[in-house]
Amino acid sequence: MATTSTLAKLRYRFVPDHVIGELLSKKWIDNAIPFLVLLCVVGLFGTLIPNFFSASNLAIQARELGEFGLVCMAMMIVIVVGGLDLSVGSNFALGNFMTLALLNLGGWPVWLAIPAVVLICGGVGFINGFLIGYLRLRAFLTTLVTLIIVRAVVDMLLLKYSKAMSVSFYDSSVWDMIGLGGVGGVPSSFIILIVVALIGHILLTRSRPGWRAMAIGGSRRSAHNIGLSVRGTVCAAYTISGMLCGLAGVLYAARLGGAGTDTGMGLEISALTAAVLGGNSLGGGRGSVVKALIGAVIVQLMTNGVLRLGMNSGSGPMVLGLTLLLAVFIDVRWLKNRDKLLSKVYVSPTLVELPTPRPTDAEKGGPLALNDRLKEVEIIGLDEVESPEDVILDENDYLYCGTRHGDIVRFSPPHYKEWEVYAHIGGSPLGMAFDKVGDLLVCVGGMGLYKIDRDRNVIKVTDETNRSPFSVVDDSRLRLADDLDIAPDGKVYFSEATIRYEMHDWPVDALESRGNGRIICYDPNTGKTHTAVRKLVFPNGVCLSHDGQAILFAESWGCRINRYWIAGPKAGTVERMLDQLPGYPDNINRASDGTYWAAIMGMRSPALDVALRMPGFRRRMARRIAPDQWLYPNLNIGCVIRFNDKGEIVESMWDKGASNHPMITSMREHKGWLYLGGITNNRIGRVKLGDWADKTWSGYQSYWGQVR
Amino acid sequence: MNAIGGWLERFLGRGSASVTVPPLDGALKPNSILEEAPTGIAVAQPDNLALLDGKPIWSSGAQILRAGSNGEPVPLLTAPSAVTALACSTAGLLAVACQSHGILVFDRNGKEAPVNWRDGRAYSCVTALAFANDDMLLVCVGSSDNPLAAWQRDLLDQRHSGILWRIDLKRGDATKVASKLAFPNGVFAAPDGSYVVSESWAKRLIRIGSNGNVLGQLIEDLPGYPARVARSSRGGYWLSIFAPRSPLIEFVLREDKYRRAMMAEVAPQYWIAPALQSGVSFHEPMQGGALKQMGILKPWAPTLSYGLVVELNENFVPIRSMHSRAGGRRHGITSAVEHDGKLWLTSKGGDEVVLLNIQT
Repeated sequence: MATTSTLAKLRYRFVPDHVIGELLSKKWIDNAIPFLVLLCVVGLFGTLIPNFFSASNLAIQARELGEFGLVCMAMMIVIVVGGLDLSVGSNFALGNFMTLALLNLGGWPVWLAIPAVVLICGGVGFINGFLIGYLRLRAFLTTLVTLIIVRAVVDMLLLKYSKAMSVSFYDSSVWDMIGLGGVGGVPSSFIILIVVALIGHILLTRSRPGWRAMAIGGSRRSAHNIGLSVRGTVCAAYTISGMLCGLAGVLYAARLGGAGTDTGMGLEISALTAAVLGGNSLGGGRGSVVKALIGAVIVQLMTNGVLRLGMNSGSGPMVLGLTLLLAVFIDVRWLKNRDKLLSKVYVSPTLVELPTPRPTDAEKGGPLALNDRLKEVEIIGLDEVESPEDVILDENDYLYCGTRHGDIVRFSPPHYKEWEVYAHIGGSPLGMAFDKVGDLLVCVGGMGLYKIDRDRNVIKVTDETNRSPFSVVDDSRLRLADDLDIAPDGKVYFSEATIRYEMHDWPVDALESRGNGRIICYDPNTGKTHTAVRKLVFPNGVCLSHDGQAILFAESWGCRINRYWIAGPKAGTVERMLDQLPGYPDNINRASDGTYWAAIMGMRSPALDVALRMPGFRRRMARRIAPDQWLYPNLNIGCVIRFNDKGEIVESMWDKGASNHPMITSMREHKGWLYLGGITNNRIGRVKLGDWADKTWSGYQSYWGQVR
Repeated sequence: MNAIGGWLERFLGRGSASVTVPPLDGALKPNSILEEAPTGIAVAQPDNLALLDGKPIWSSGAQILRAGSNGEPVPLLTAPSAVTALACSTAGLLAVACQSHGILVFDRNGKEAPVNWRDGRAYSCVTALAFANDDMLLVCVGSSDNPLAAWQRDLLDQRHSGILWRIDLKRGDATKVASKLAFPNGVFAAPDGSYVVSESWAKRLIRIGSNGNVLGQLIEDLPGYPARVARSSRGGYWLSIFAPRSPLIEFVLREDKYRRAMMAEVAPQYWIAPALQSGVSFHEPMQGGALKQMGILKPWAPTLSYGLVVELNENFVPIRSMHSRAGGRRHGITSAVEHDGKLWLTSKGGDEVVLLNIQT
């Protein structure tokens, strides 16, 4: 067999390809391109302009940013609900004028003047909001009208009061502190911006009003249909927008202390540019405070930078316009292609070199030789159960299995013809185990670990574990709890097969064959859940060894069975027990003679084994051809093997013609019979075991002794 | 620029690197007529059907068989080695291509007819024979690189080394009509003197002039690999398609490194390659859509083998088709002839000669 180069092995060992897909699935990845632009702008002007990084320049820029950032946030909030506010500039000018008027002419104290101005500008915003939200006017036209009217009002007021204002001067240390001072060299306006931004971020991302605003922007009609108050929320967004403009006007007044006709002129264009550049979608529903701030910094650096480079007066708006065009272009392309890109790059195979499988040829003999011993399987519940991944029997010989409808179905002995829904959990019930008092613990794909007590109450045991450090996606939620067993001290050990795929996609994990799974331990004494072993290749089939010292588990795509010591001198370590399997092992359970059963859920195909060595081939395959055309492990036929504590295979049972019960994911020995389950089956099978089997042995007794 | 363009295409999966397979649509819409046809004649690997004096005969291994009065196979003659193609002339001559004995000619009683072979060339990998007239035999050699048994290797290596010969049986000399064909797998002489050849690896039928010039494509981008062509009673043709195209195979054809490793390490019957039958061993590659659910293999599941025969009209436009879909038995249709209102088909993968009632 050809070997793979060490370089390729190292590359796939240390380069985390799968992170790309995980990063793309994060919401904040939308900020990546604006952030890159920001870095470029800082780099460009930082090198072109002398003293760009000096403390004084940074302080000046930060002070101005305090005002501009607030206006950009004002713009962002209305954009998020699917609107547009062109009146921010006029409103800002109004705020500036009112502040100066109230302080200089009215002689109001600062603490009263600032809230008053914020309320006045909020009032302008409310008018916008009322017209747009409740009267359903167009946002563009309405705010254009407000822009003109408010500007006219400011001009008229200026005409009347500017003379009086220019001669008076307001003297207050608090006012000076806001306008000129700061804390530890950081200007006050910047501090105010940061505080407002933090509150805004929390409101927008972690509160119901914020989520509602997002939902309304995303789809107004759907939001209305689910009962959100669309009108009220839209109105509120414009009101908040107006208040933020007022606050920005206050800061502007504090900084410059003068009012002119050109105050806030063209600010709406800059703010709009900043909001869109930052990645806030003009269509609504996609935006954040961080995006608004990134945009604000870019726009301010560019406009100031162009001015300081001494270019002529038209070049500033020109640069801004071109950047806006680029931003809109990128925004559209990104929105359109992000999901496409994600679905293409999510599957990220890694390099696997599986050892040569043990022979299965009937002619060559050996414990794995093909035979027809499962041909005589008795079929239970044909077309009555769907997806019995695991089967289990209790002391009274009742047979339980899960179905893909989320039910636990119970068949009655001795003929197993009658059945009933024992309990309904939901999700996809997979592995099962009885604890000492006879409660049934079930791993439910998509939900977690559940318990059905003897009164048939469904109780959630656990659905999360500790989050792995440095993981990009939150892996604390259990996605695919697979099989479990219970240690003598009551701790429940269970496997989560993969953290990267949902229940219906589980075979795709085989294409990756990376260690995406883990063994998790739930301690009933403390109620805590923690991850015991990480980076396992589709861990599955958890089974407590006969001596109670170790947990046996299968690594399906690795075609091996491992032992995880939970007691004794080697506690906490994992060791290889059995490998070179010709197929993919699934559930493991105890046999009556001190050995173990393991289900082989599918067989390796040599063509796939070659592909496993070539992750690039599998990656391209996942991108180029449709999922149902992908090369898969052959999960249509499997077998049952029995092995001992030394890791030697004792025997195997096959359905050679694949006619009766070829697909096996689980088996339980019970009183001389072996019961079979398969995740894609519409049946349960049972087959009588040979004379070696103890006809009185049951799983419950093996774990918990005689029934009281 | 070309190198960059090629790299870009491979990186983005566009242009030559894109994997597209024509859908089974229109006249090729899947059905299960072929699969559900009554039980035919069980024969091991029947391959080439022909009409000898108006009665169907077919090859199976080294034997040439005909149907007895109760539909049982009756041996007509036994060739010295496995028969890879046969053809009958209107005069009752029977040309038989053998795997290791070249082309032999028999009369209708199974006696070897003397042919004055002047060139003494040993033809191997003969995929199809046809009489242009009573003296003129057309011979398709699938590949000059691989024996017929290694046809999957020939495809995976993307060989274009097929040859069309014309043999004058009277004078005994052979003319190379055309070469560098992509596995010619069926031939007949058109009334206008040109030859129609099915090129399997190019998935098309072409018309070749008697001087060897390719005169045009008659049908292109077939959804499977075409085999032999026979005339229909309605002036059209029956085209047998012996294996389906699949996106996975097309993709593997673009992956040189993987393909080489697979061919070196994996036994041919387990390759990702078109096959005459599939589902025999669990070592065969399986594709996602072929995962059985509730014990059922979906008929639309991706498959490496398929049963398909297409009726073309006189302008080589498909007008109807008969299918045996994924998971079916009658796969690997290598030839078809129409006789007495019935279509006779050889399912080489299904070990059966199928008789299909085609009166509509």
